[in-house]
Order: sequence, then C-alpha cells, then structure tokens
Amino acid sequence: MRIRMFLIIALFFLVLVLTLFLGPTVISPFAVDATSREILFSIRAPRVVVAALMGMALGASGAVLQGILRNPLADPYILGISSGASLSAALGILGGLTFMGEFTIPVLAFIGAIVTGSIVGIMGWKRGGLWPERLLLAGVGLSFLFSSLLMLIMSISSDEGIRKAILWIFGDLSMSEWSRVPYGLAFVLAGIILSGTKAKALNALILGDEFAHSLGFTPHRERFILFVAVGLLTAASVSLGGMIGFIGLLVPHIIRFFMGSDGRVLIPASALVGGVLLCVADVISRSVLPPMELPAGIITALIGSPYFLYLLRRKNVLGV
Amino acid sequence: MKNILLCLTLIVTCSFSSFAHAGETPQRIISLAPNMTEILFALGLGNRIVGVTSFCDYPAEAKKKPKVGGMSNPSLEAVISLKPDVVVMTIDGNPREFEERLRSLGIKTYVFRASRLRELPKGARDLGKALGVQEEAETFAREFEAAVKRVEAGERVTGTHTLSARGRTLFIVWPEPLIAAGPGTVIDDALTLIGLDNIASDLRVSYPKYSIEEIIRRAPEVIIIGRGMDHKDIEKISAGLLKRLHSVPAVKNKRVFYVSDDLYRLGPRTVRGIEEISGLVVR
Repeated sequence: MRIRMFLIIALFFLVLVLTLFLGPTVISPFAVDATSREILFSIRAPRVVVAALMGMALGASGAVLQGILRNPLADPYILGISSGASLSAALGILGGLTFMGEFTIPVLAFIGAIVTGSIVGIMGWKRGGLWPERLLLAGVGLSFLFSSLLMLIMSISSDEGIRKAILWIFGDLSMSEWSRVPYGLAFVLAGIILSGTKAKALNALILGDEFAHSLGFTPHRERFILFVAVGLLTAASVSLGGMIGFIGLLVPHIIRFFMGSDGRVLIPASALVGGVLLCVADVISRSVLPPMELPAGIITALIGSPYFLYLLRRKNVLGV
Repeated sequence: MKNILLCLTLIVTCSFSSFAHAGETPQRIISLAPNMTEILFALGLGNRIVGVTSFCDYPAEAKKKPKVGGMSNPSLEAVISLKPDVVVMTIDGNPREFEERLRSLGIKTYVFRASRLRELPKGARDLGKALGVQEEAETFAREFEAAVKRVEAGERVTGTHTLSARGRTLFIVWPEPLIAAGPGTVIDDALTLIGLDNIASDLRVSYPKYSIEEIIRRAPEVIIIGRGMDHKDIEKISAGLLKRLHSVPAVKNKRVFYVSDDLYRLGPRTVRGIEEISGLVVR
C-alpha cells in the first residue's frame, strides 16, 4: 500500500510538470524563449495548478460523499451544490454583473454553492443530526429545482448569453489565473485536511450509525463535519472552473478497485488521481485542435469512462 | 366523366389562384430573425410586419411589434394566429423543420439565403422580388455595394495605415471565456475586406473558444472587442484578459478597440460596422 501511495504521489507531480510543457505547442524545458517563458509562467502554470486543485477537490469530495451518504452513486453534484453555483453564476453572466471585476463570476458561484449547501444541510437536519437519506433527497430535489430555474432563465435570454453561460457551466479552465490560486488552495486544502482527519470516522459511518456509535464516534457530529468539508470542496471547485463531471463519481471507485476503501488512503488517493485526471484532460482539451479549445469536462469523461468500464469487467467489484 | 371534369377545373383554378397569389405584395409579414427585421424595415416594409422574434430590437419600432418567440424556438401557434401572408426566415438562424411545418400548414415562407457579406446584395434583391419591393431592394443593394467598394478603395488609396498591409487581427466576441470570430462569419468577411488578417480564420468553427497562449504566440497587432448587445461594462469584463495579454503587440501599442454590435447581423447596419472598424485601423 505504501508503494502504491508513493507511486500516486510521484505520478501526480510528474503529470503536473509534464502538462506544463505540453500544449498547443510543446515547449522544451531546455530552450525557453521570452514568449514561451511568458506562456509557461503566466498562462500554463496557473492553469495546471487550478486544474490540479479542482480535480483534487472533486476526487476527495466524491470519496467522502459516497461514504456519508452510503451511496456509490453519490458525487459532488448530487447535492445540488453545483446547480446552485451554476444558477448563480449564470445569473451573473446573463445579467452582465461586474461588481467585483474579474472575480465576480467565481465569487457568485462560490456564494451560490455555499447557500445551496446550507439549504441542503437544513433540509437534511432532523432530530439533532444530518440523515443520509434526507440529505440525498433534499440534494436531488434542490438540484432539479435549480436546474429547471437555470433552463428557464436560459430559454428566455438571448442566444449570445446562453452560449457564454453554457461554456462556463461546462467547465472552463482557460481563465485560470494566479490571483485565484490562493483562495482555491486555501479552501481545497482546508476541505481535504478536514476530511482526512475524519477518515476513521468515515470508515465507521459506512458501516452504519449504530456501528459507528459502538466504536465511540458521534455519527451526527462526524457527518456534519464531513458535510461541511464536502461543501467547501465542491464550492471551491465550481468557482474555480465550473462543472467537470466524472471525477467526483468514478475516481473514488477506481481507487477502491486498487487500494480498498479505507478512508485514510481513499481520500488522499482520490484527490491526487482526480488532480491527475483533470490535468491530463485539460492538456488534451487545449492541444488536440489548436488554436481552439474544447471543454475539459468532455475529455475527463471521454478518457475516464472507458477505463472505468474496463475495470468493471476485470476487477471484482463490490465483492460480487 | 362529369366528376373528372369537375376535378380538373378545381385543380386548374386552384393552381391559377396560387400563381396569382405569388405575384401579390404580401400585407402581413412575420420576421423570424433580427437581421431580417432590420432588412425589412430598411426596405420600407416596417408597417407590414405583424410579428417578430423576441431578439428583434432594432430599429426601435421593431420592439413594439408582437413577439412570436425566439429564433430557434418560435411558437407555431403565435405565428399562425397572426395570419401572415409570408413568414421570412434565414437559412442559418431558424430550424428547417419549422419552415417545413409552416409550408405543410399552407403558410407561405421565404428563406433568406445570404449569410456572408458578399451575398447580401443578391439576397436583398431576391427578397425584394419576392415581396414586391424591387426598387427599394435595388437601392439597398446598390448602396451596400458602393459602400463595400469605398472601403476596398480606401484601403488601397489612402495608404495611411500605420499597420503592415495585412495586420494580424483578433476579433473577440466575448472575453471570458474567450470566444473569437472565426471563418464564415460576417465579422471575418469584414476584416478580410478591410485588409486585416484574422488570426482565427484558419479554424473550422465560426465562433471558436480560442487558446490564450496561441494568441500570445500569434501576436495580433490589432484586437477588436465587440460590445455585444447590451454590455456597457465590456471594458471591465475584458480587463482581466487584456492584463494577461499584456505582451501582445496590440495591447502593448494600445491597439485594442471596442466596437458596437453593428457587425453581428447581416443587414442595413453591416456597412456602419465595416466603416467603424476601417476607421479605427486607418487612423
């Protein structure tokens, strides 16, 4: 297990460095001219870091959510947090809001995510605690509500505005800047560390509240803390670059195939592999049809899903 | 035998009546595209328009016309209830199925086929013929052709360009995420006409999401940012992008221009849009 974890960490840093030099034009690290240096440091580097942060947030929050909701189909988007963020970002885009300059849309998305997360939390709260089924249903309900509101707004606004909003919602890493990295880093690290310290509790929660209780955990409290961590992670990832599918849902499953479901391994490994996958997807999305860019969200699922299906056939899933 | 004769007469009279119909000037016109609304107004048919899309905002009177929905999703019921003599559509903006549906319901349609700069005069003349306003259409087409010639000639004669003969140009439709005007657009046609080299014209997509690092590599000498339909804050929205493009010649030499939405629609305002851009770069 140690060796595998070490390999994942090595892979993570290798991919970070590699994707820095790959792109529409491959930059050789041994012959860097002024233009290339600028592209490397002010365009690609922040983009690679943002992609890694987003992928980490999605991978980790997926792993945690599948545990606290006891549902293998849970992902960071099932709680409606991303729909709320998208709705609020789309309102900002379509309304032409610019009150915070270039930060307007990310901030709106973050606020939307936090507000939605709080609503889901309030709806899922009963008799002094959060209940998995209630959370899940409240999330799905809110998600439908916000998506339909989003569709409503889009269908009554101009074609031009719709295009912009759709591009943003389907994940856009092209506007990644250093100025966004500190905030992203703070929230993502906070979320991952918070969930990492609760990894043992997560292991117990998966086995059921009574079992967790008998092991000395307070299920509702642990679940609440983990839920806050997931909220932070999802909000940070959506505000960094919109919605990217697949990673939050399937990366934790891929990790379970190889490394089991111990949260202490699952959470960091899912985070790192999530980061790797999004960096690779992004480098593909910006390199295949230069000078055009494709949405990275399409590529993550396009390369991830076949691999996942292959594993599903090869490996012994869920002990079946 | 008698029945057959009756049928024949019916067929003949029906076909004649439809022929007769074709020559008449339609009195009730519905426009299903903003640029068509502008062209119809320019041809003096404004008072015959009985319905427009919700995007038809120019000229000001167009806003007061009854709405029949969007371009891609007009309401069939709204169109029918307005009892149009003809529904004017565009080949690239409206769904084909909608046009087929209207025809199957016996509603006359006219599909405007021009979508490029050079096609506009012929498109206008054909439209004029179909709607019985040949003279107005001829004037419209001539004025457009003359304006295009003026711009072309101005480019050759003045020689006051501070730019190289084919200045590399990027037209940004939306700064964040960055959408450029690519091939097949009126904007690309206009840039070519003025003698600018659109760095997004070698793509296959009309409005591509353009790679920022490729902009830095291709180093455009001019960047033109469209204000869009209703964005007064476009300077603020594009500030972040321009900061990242600080090393590009266009930004360094302060050759970043903001232009109106005149070029976004192929119609009477297109000329103004071309002149706006040519004025910026010739200066």
